[in-house]
Parts: sequence; C-alpha cells; structure tokens
Amino acid sequence: MTDAHVLAVLTVLAPAALAALVAAVPARLVARVAVAGAVPAAAFGLALACLSFARASRPAAGRWLVVDAAGGLLLAVIAVVGLASTAMSPSYLRGAPASFVSANRGERVYFAVLFVFWAVLDAVPLAGNLGVAWLLVEASTAASAVLVGFSGKAPALEAGWKYLILTSLGLGVALLGIAMLMAGLPGGGIGSLAWHRLATFSSGRPTALAAYLLLLTGLAAKIGWAPVHNWLPDAHSEAPPPVSALLSAALLPAVLLVAWRSERALAPVIGSRPAHAVLIGFGLVSVAVAVPFLWRPMPFKRLLAYSSLEHLGVMALGVGFGTPLALAGVAVHIVGHALAKALGFYSAAPLLAHDPRAAKRAVSGIARSSPALGTAIGVSLGALSGLPPSPLFVSEVLILAGGFASGQLWAAVAAAVLLALGFLGLAHATIETLAGEVPDREPARVRVPDMRPVTAFAGLAVVVLLAIAAAAPWLSGTGFVAALVRGVP
Amino acid sequence: MSGLTAWLLVGLSFGVVVVRRPSTAVGLVTAQALALALAAITAHQSGWARSGDAVITAIMLAARALALGALFRYAMARSRDTQPVAGRFSPVVRASVAVALALALSALVPGFGLTSPAGEGAVLTLVATGLACAATRRATLFQVLGIVLVENGLALAALGSPRGSLVVELGVTFDLTLIAVVAAMFHLRIFAELGAGDSTVLRSLHD
Repeated sequence: MTDAHVLAVLTVLAPAALAALVAAVPARLVARVAVAGAVPAAAFGLALACLSFARASRPAAGRWLVVDAAGGLLLAVIAVVGLASTAMSPSYLRGAPASFVSANRGERVYFAVLFVFWAVLDAVPLAGNLGVAWLLVEASTAASAVLVGFSGKAPALEAGWKYLILTSLGLGVALLGIAMLMAGLPGGGIGSLAWHRLATFSSGRPTALAAYLLLLTGLAAKIGWAPVHNWLPDAHSEAPPPVSALLSAALLPAVLLVAWRSERALAPVIGSRPAHAVLIGFGLVSVAVAVPFLWRPMPFKRLLAYSSLEHLGVMALGVGFGTPLALAGVAVHIVGHALAKALGFYSAAPLLAHDPRAAKRAVSGIARSSPALGTAIGVSLGALSGLPPSPLFVSEVLILAGGFASGQLWAAVAAAVLLALGFLGLAHATIETLAGEVPDREPARVRVPDMRPVTAFAGLAVVVLLAIAAAAPWLSGTGFVAALVRGVP
Repeated sequence: MSGLTAWLLVGLSFGVVVVRRPSTAVGLVTAQALALALAAITAHQSGWARSGDAVITAIMLAARALALGALFRYAMARSRDTQPVAGRFSPVVRASVAVALALALSALVPGFGLTSPAGEGAVLTLVATGLACAATRRATLFQVLGIVLVENGLALAALGSPRGSLVVELGVTFDLTLIAVVAAMFHLRIFAELGAGDSTVLRSLHD
C-alpha cells in the first residue's frame, strides 16, 4: 500500500470509528468526544487532500480507489465543513431538544449518524469505481435522511420523507443506467465499472447514451438539479443547520463529482458533445428555475436552499463547458460556495433564536438589531450573490469565459443573463436582510446559542474566500487544473 | 430467464399498483422477491455466474425478501389506520400510468444485452411500475414499496446480465435494506406525529 492508500483508509475510517466511539461513551462525554475526535478526522482528510494536490500530475487510481486532484478538492471541503458542523452541533442540540429518536438518546444518535454520514461522504470522492460510488451515494441517503428529519417535527418529517423517496427513486433510475453499462462492459463483475474501464463499453453508442442519460437523470435527483430538485428546498430548510451545511456544501458537490467522472469516462464512447450537452442542459434549467425564487422574499434557510440550486447549476455548466478556464471556475466555485453556504447555515441557528419568525418569513434588518449576526450573514449572502471580491464572482466569470472558449456561445450567453438576474435577486435579498426595516421583536422562544463558533468560522471564511478570489485568475494554467481536464486516468 | 418468470414478476408488480390493502401489496412484493431468488438459482445456467455465486445470491435475495416482508408487517402493525388510505387515483388510472410509463421506457431504451429479451422488458416494466406506484399512491407504505419494486427490477437486470456481479448484488441488497429500515422509521414517526400514514398530510412545505 502506498502512503496515499494508507491516508485514504484513515480518512474514511476515522469518522467511522468516531461514530462507534460516540455510541459507546457515557452520555455526558458524547459532545466533547465528538468535537475532539472531529479534529483528527478532518486532519486526515486535509492531509490526503494536500497529498493529492501535490501529486496532481500522477494520481493514484485503481479498481477500487482513486486519489486525484478533483477528489482532493472535495476531501478538503468535506474535512473543513465536517469539522465545523461538528463544532456547531452542541449549541444547536442544546437549543433543540426535540428528536427523531427519544430525547435521552438524541445527542448520541445525532453524532453517531453524523459521523457515519461524514465517513460515507469521504468515501465518495475516493471511489475508483462507478458501482462503488453508487453504493456510497445511496448509503449517504439513509444516513442523511435521518439527520434531515432529526427534529421529529412535522415539517422535518415531511422534508426527510420527500428526500428519502425522491432521491432513492432517482438513484434507482441511475442504477438502471449502471446495469445497462455493466451488461456491455467486457470482463464483467464490479471491476468492470472502474472509471478507466468505462470507455471500453462495447454494446454500441445508442445504448451507452441511454445508460448515460439514465445515470445522470438519477444522479440529478440526488444533486438537486432542476427539474428533479423538489426535495432540496425542503430538506435544506428543515434539517438542523449543521446538517444543512454538510448537505449543501459537501454532499451535493460530492455527487456532482460522480456525475463529472461519469461524463469524463463515457465521453469517448458517446462523444464529448452529447456528454457535455446533458450537463449544460441541467445547469441552465437549474439556474433558470432558481432565479425567480431568489427574487422572492423567503425564509432565510429556504433562500439558501434555492441559492444551492443556482450554484449547483453553475457547477454543472462549468463541468459541461469542460475547458481549463471553466474547470478552474468549477474548482473555485466548489470551495467558495462551500464556505459561504456553510457560514450561512451556521448563522441560521443564532438567527432563529434571535428572531424565531425567521423560520417562516424573510429576515429583515438583522445588521441593525444584531451587528455580529448581521456581519456573518452579510459575508455569506454577499459571497453567494457573487458580489466582488467574492470568489464566486471570479468563478462565474471563469466559467462563462470557459463557455465562450468551448464554442457554446448560446449556452454561455443564456447563463450570463441568468446569472446576472440571480445576482440582482440575491443582492436585493442581502440588502433587505441586512438593512431592511427591523420588525417588532418577539421574545425568543429558544435558548440563544453561543455566537462564538459562528464568529470564528466567519473570520476564517473571510480570509479563505479572499485568498481564493486572489488566486483564482491564475489557476487555469496550473497542473491542478490540467489534472482536472485529464480526469481519472 | 423464461418468459413465464418474466410475466410472473410483471404481474406481481402490477398487483402492487392496483391493490387497495397494504398487507396484500406487501405479500405481493415479498412473493416477487422470492420469485427473483428462485430465478437466481437457474441464472448460472445462462452463464450469469458460477453456481456457488448463484446460490449465495439466491439465499441473499430470499433473506432480503423475508426481512423486508417482516419489516413492513411490523410497520403496519404499529401504525394501523382505521381504514386504508384512499387512493389519489383509481386503480385503473394507476395501472394506466404504469403501462404508459413502461411503454415509454421500452420505446426509449435500446436493447442493453441481457440474456433474454423478455428479461429486458420485465426489467423496464418493474422500474416503471415502481415509479408509478410511488407517484400515484398516497399511503407512505406504498411509496416505499415503489422503491422496492424498482430495486427488484434492477436485481432482475443483474440476474439477466451475461456479466453480473455478486458484489453489486450484495451491495444493492444492503443499501436497499438500509433505505427500507429508514423509510419504515419515518413511516412510524409520521404516523405517530400526524396520525396517518398518508403522504397528503405531508404538504405543508411549498413555495
């Protein structure tokens, strides 16, 4: 085993072992063990990510495991958001005693399932095989559905139920595509589904194209691409905020990576143009569906959910354009979106404590009534709207430039118009949220969570977001982006 | 795979789409999964796998069928509605949706190389009936059964493939069981919280 393989195993095993540990320790120690244990779990992921960046030109790829630049990017995001979500969870749990399970086991079950989810998430970008990747994505549904419905309240149960049923049916459709591919791959067995072997599909282009369409349509239901996105706004708005952050910042891009790898692996069989066209189609439809909702006054977490729909659409466009510029934009977009969106969801817990009506209606004037909270929310919404110097502004420019460079003029122009409308909608929402009229205060119904973890994460996010924005324009000429263009070897 | 087996599996899936009582539907899905287990026994004769793998797959499919049947029975016993949840659509409409979806899939999806053409048609029909069941039934339990129908169709695809894989079968079985357990937990919580295993009570979230 190489050092990359050892680190990959440790990266997946660390959160899995932590899940077992929190299930076994005395109840009073659960939260402390969880937060302390999350540090090494994140460290393994970050170390592997650094290794994959350093060896971007010579990735480790086999039948079961792949450690490459694209996977490293996701591992870094999962590590940071996983650690931050774990750190934010104790204050959320103190303020929200209701539970999907009995109250006295709530904290233990929450952390155990959270770490199982984290372990599965870590394994998705490392899967060297489409079949294994599918199994992991399906497993992530079971774990994350429990977390979405964790509060046990009727809206959370509704959101969890929709998420479970729609994504499971979608993944069933994706599995039909995989079964079709498997029937046409020489050799047979699960090893034939290794990324680098998909190009050897031999049952003809029409069958490969049908399988690819089924695969991507099924994965789209899990990624939350329109028009199969119905679960996304509900799940993101009803899940506990630390879980919403993991769903939006880590899970959706991780599944997008599976779609990206599938496109790269199957393009030689079905042709680059149709392979890209499907992604561009999903991207444009997702942004087009999201934009009208960004213009409507909406509860804060629901606004963030529709912003996820828009940004996952932007990522699909970048992958579909497929040029070095566009892929550099996708890399920047994944990291920038993850940090800004996670900050937004982490701010939601103190926001709901500060103004419980924010669960049902649009927030207004938060910077006036709570400057610290307003700053965190302002950083999040400002970055997500693509307001310069947000890295998402740079990434969207890179993706659009990549679209023009790829010759997809109409798609690039349509995307530019939609993104401009999305920017205006979210910028308007940002101004209203921060500086709108302050509503009459209601007494807080729940204990106000500690703001310090959110403030600390906001500080970290600002520094990293600015650093990414500064580095982004030079990214497209690097070996890292060259590795993204090559795909899985 | 024989045409008779394919027709049997398709007939059972249409039964799930049209029947009124959840207990009958659970019985039909369990029978379908057991029929798949029997089909696995004969699958190695068509070159799918070594006989040892075929026996393991058959045992696994039978165990899954019985475990899911028991799980759904348990969930029904713990959440007995005073009367069955009324259908959103009549049985004729539900069956028509399933037939239309199956025909559309058969027309759009080219042959994908299973050992029997009847098997390919049965796979697509099972997937179509599963999707139709989840989309047209109101009872939460029936929506889960829709997922099981889709997965049974995919298990059939793996059995009918000339290059099947025991690992894939094992993984899919494990994942499906996990999803079914979580879905049963949700069904029970929904019943406890809202007093009915009816998806129409789950409509508070919309824009």
